[in-house]
Amino acid sequence: MADVDVALLRKIVQEVIKETNDASQPISFKSEDQPTPATEAPVASKKVPAGMDAPKQLDWFKHVGPAKQGTAVDEVVVAVLPGFAEHLTENMTGLSHKDILRQVTAGIEEEGLRARVIKVYRTADVSFAGAEGDKLSGSGIGIAIQSKGTAIIHQRDEEPLSNLELFPQAPVLTLDTYRAIGVNAAKYAKGESPTPVPTVNDQMARVQYQAKSALMHIKETKYVVLGKQAEEIQVSF
Amino acid sequence: MKRQKRFEELEKRPVHLDGFVKEWPEEGFVALEGPNDPKPSIKIENGVVTELDSKQRDEFDLIDMYIADHGIDKSRAVEVMNTDSYKLANMLCDPNVPREDIIPLTTAMTPAKAVDVISKLNFVEMMMATQKMRPRRTPATQAHVTNLKDNPVQIAADAADAALRGFPEQETTTAVGRYAPFNAISIMIGAQTGRPGVLTQCSVEEALELSLGMRGFTAYAETISVYGTEQVFTDGDDTPWSKGFLASCYASRGLKMRFTSGSGSEVMMGYAEGKSMLYLEARCIYITKASGVQGLQNGGVSCIGIPGSVPSGIRSVLGENLICMMLDLECASANDQAFSHSDMRRTERLLGQFLAGTDYVSSGYSSVPNEDNMFAGSNTDAMDYDDYYVMQRDLKINGGIVPVKEEDVIKVRNKAAKALQTVFEALGLPKITDEEVEAATYANTSRDMPERNMVEDMKAAQDMMNRGITGLDIVKGLYNGGFRDVAQAVLSLLQQRIAGDFLQTSAIFDKDWNVISAVNDKNDYEGPGTGYRVSGETWEKIKDIPMAIDPSDF
Amino acid sequence: MSEMEDLVAKVMADMQNSATKSTDAPVNAGSTTPTASATTDGKELGRDDYPLFSKHPDMIKSPTGKSVTDITLENVVNDKITADDLRITPATLKAQGQIAKSAGRTAIQGNFDRASELTAIPDKRLLEMYGSLRPYRSTKQELLDMADELEQQYNAKICATWVREAAKNYELRKKLKGDN
Repeated sequence: MADVDVALLRKIVQEVIKETNDASQPISFKSEDQPTPATEAPVASKKVPAGMDAPKQLDWFKHVGPAKQGTAVDEVVVAVLPGFAEHLTENMTGLSHKDILRQVTAGIEEEGLRARVIKVYRTADVSFAGAEGDKLSGSGIGIAIQSKGTAIIHQRDEEPLSNLELFPQAPVLTLDTYRAIGVNAAKYAKGESPTPVPTVNDQMARVQYQAKSALMHIKETKYVVLGKQAEEIQVSF
Repeated sequence: MKRQKRFEELEKRPVHLDGFVKEWPEEGFVALEGPNDPKPSIKIENGVVTELDSKQRDEFDLIDMYIADHGIDKSRAVEVMNTDSYKLANMLCDPNVPREDIIPLTTAMTPAKAVDVISKLNFVEMMMATQKMRPRRTPATQAHVTNLKDNPVQIAADAADAALRGFPEQETTTAVGRYAPFNAISIMIGAQTGRPGVLTQCSVEEALELSLGMRGFTAYAETISVYGTEQVFTDGDDTPWSKGFLASCYASRGLKMRFTSGSGSEVMMGYAEGKSMLYLEARCIYITKASGVQGLQNGGVSCIGIPGSVPSGIRSVLGENLICMMLDLECASANDQAFSHSDMRRTERLLGQFLAGTDYVSSGYSSVPNEDNMFAGSNTDAMDYDDYYVMQRDLKINGGIVPVKEEDVIKVRNKAAKALQTVFEALGLPKITDEEVEAATYANTSRDMPERNMVEDMKAAQDMMNRGITGLDIVKGLYNGGFRDVAQAVLSLLQQRIAGDFLQTSAIFDKDWNVISAVNDKNDYEGPGTGYRVSGETWEKIKDIPMAIDPSDF
Repeated sequence: MSEMEDLVAKVMADMQNSATKSTDAPVNAGSTTPTASATTDGKELGRDDYPLFSKHPDMIKSPTGKSVTDITLENVVNDKITADDLRITPATLKAQGQIAKSAGRTAIQGNFDRASELTAIPDKRLLEMYGSLRPYRSTKQELLDMADELEQQYNAKICATWVREAAKNYELRKKLKGDN
């Protein structure tokens, strides 16, 4: 079935509602005079709606207090958005948040720098998250990653909606791209001028994924807490 | 289930790759007539709007406040609000009611009333209204000129190519933000080489964009985004007052500008407040009006996939263009984003604006193949040129461009690339080789271009900004390099800023720098025999497609 | 799948946040009606005077007093023209404002009136001022100080009113520094 967006809508709702009705059941040629119980889809009220579910407890992604102002010039802050890992777990194309973060931090470390992960709460916007991250970053360089996968490399003193490099089309990002984003961010932190991560332009990606992207972003916004300070995250892969 | 073979085949059709979503009004996934949209209302006490669309003044958010205080003609507001929406809708599409009789009514409505009026119209009625309500009599269209590698030589050649085809406005943007100054000067030099009088812009972050304009690298700006909910507006890093101030900044430097909005952006950014896309878009259009900005780019724009995914969405998108025109604003009517995998469906997307004619049918049409379109692809691209020409010819429509001869395009691409080569040399920028000039002359896409040292280019672009290079330095470089005519064209563009004629509504220039705007070319459509008709030289050009067989050859 | 649609609707309805809009006291309209004095001989220009470039080239001057017809290639190459000669003047913006008004577009005239005040402000400071008006950038006092600067230093009264109006509304709707 190519019906991507209905499938995704279903997936989101599945987290809220227990779906008991399997769409792939065989068709019945019997007359329709008897109500089929399956279509009445009983609601399991145990699940809570998006925005009210408690964050998943993850052993690789631990909160260790409020995010601190960094002073080390050899660090790059990686700011993830409110839904990341703990509410949503995969980007738009199904790459797991854990793998994405692992690649970004590996890219930074590959250049001999340290990655410091924080979670921001006051925005679901990738640019503003980047701007919050780079202010806390000792090197002044920050990366931000949305749950749907969109990423940015941002430098302190830039306008929030400016960027060093922006990766707005999540559907074309691979794990290799995420690693390259980490590498380039580290190079900027070292004062180098790296060649930008090659841009992949798939003009049909947006057509195919825009509605899905909106649905994921709507969900991310449910976890925004205005005024809430970013938190330090300890990652272990 | 055992599959039915026809269904299996149909599922392989391109339209099945498009995204469709059932209506979800609570999150704004509804095109128009949303269940939570406010009822139209207004109350004016002592000259102050105290109630707007069922909200009391003490409940107003920033957008309500801005519209209430600056965006509505209060003198006739009560009268118009008490007029039946069917009657107003009827006046809009009735050719016997001239535009100038309707504008005083439509500019006195509230956003919810405008939406209510639009909801009474079917698609064809919207087209009839559009034909009459667009501000400029003569329709036009706009081009995108970009490439994947931000190759400046290719931008110059493509801009000249597009200018020759008749696009009076051209827009570029960057793959990498720091290239912006190069892209801006490349599109300007290329466009002025192709046809003097073309206005060019470079879409980047708001403050940087203004600073490019101040230096004389761009002539106008368009991507000054406004949004229909306060939260999304804030996420866009502005407020109505900062955007209104920015609008005046542009005018203070003699630069044309329009705002940008489009239904779906609030859904896309996650804070639609449960309102329909058209209602939120109406608020954006009123913000534009309230700011005293002459025009707006709207119609889904980059979020077209959102209204495109819900029922009646493409109808609603024409409706939002129409509200823009009802507020007497220049309308650059989108059709500027890859929209569908289906050729049939992207033609459907285009038809309303193409057939009725708008100030800019597309904003813009990708003058390069979509793989090089850094606005993530347009609805129509360079590979559609010949189809588009034939559509214009078949239907006797001026969709804004004219057929060109291959040898003319080769000449003008080559000249533009050489002109840029000269300017780069004069300004001490990284060398453009003869090999690059040759490649750009014949290139279709950036794959046909030699690699440039991007790091060096970006450093030089920044350095050029730091050195305070302006448009005048470009004029001198062109002149000293022997491109006197291009130098004159760039200077004429700078000169027009002093006069400010192109700050008026819907302004473009012809090749002799005559301004054509809604002031001196106002839409006077009143039925058959009136308004814009394709004729004369333009029709001769549109007819003359190179693929047509000449019967005298037989 | 209509049952799913219904379920989505139900769930989302549960999630609807209760309205938390602040209900501050009403404020008066900050809209200003600029008193644009006519630029030439006390006579207001109309749409028939448009375009100025071809119909009234004599009226168009650069801020340095040069005529629009002095902007020639020869003068540029001989360094007789500087970037300052290529700027629009308050008088021309007022004239275009009158033309816009005559064509029925008073809102555009309002914008041009603000713009005519802003011509006096250097590029760098103007960009900073725009930045200060963006959300969460300024305290209320900083905005009020900027309004005073506009009024006193640049005689930009309309723009000063604009900024004060912004300050008032930013306070009401929490868009001042530290509100995010």
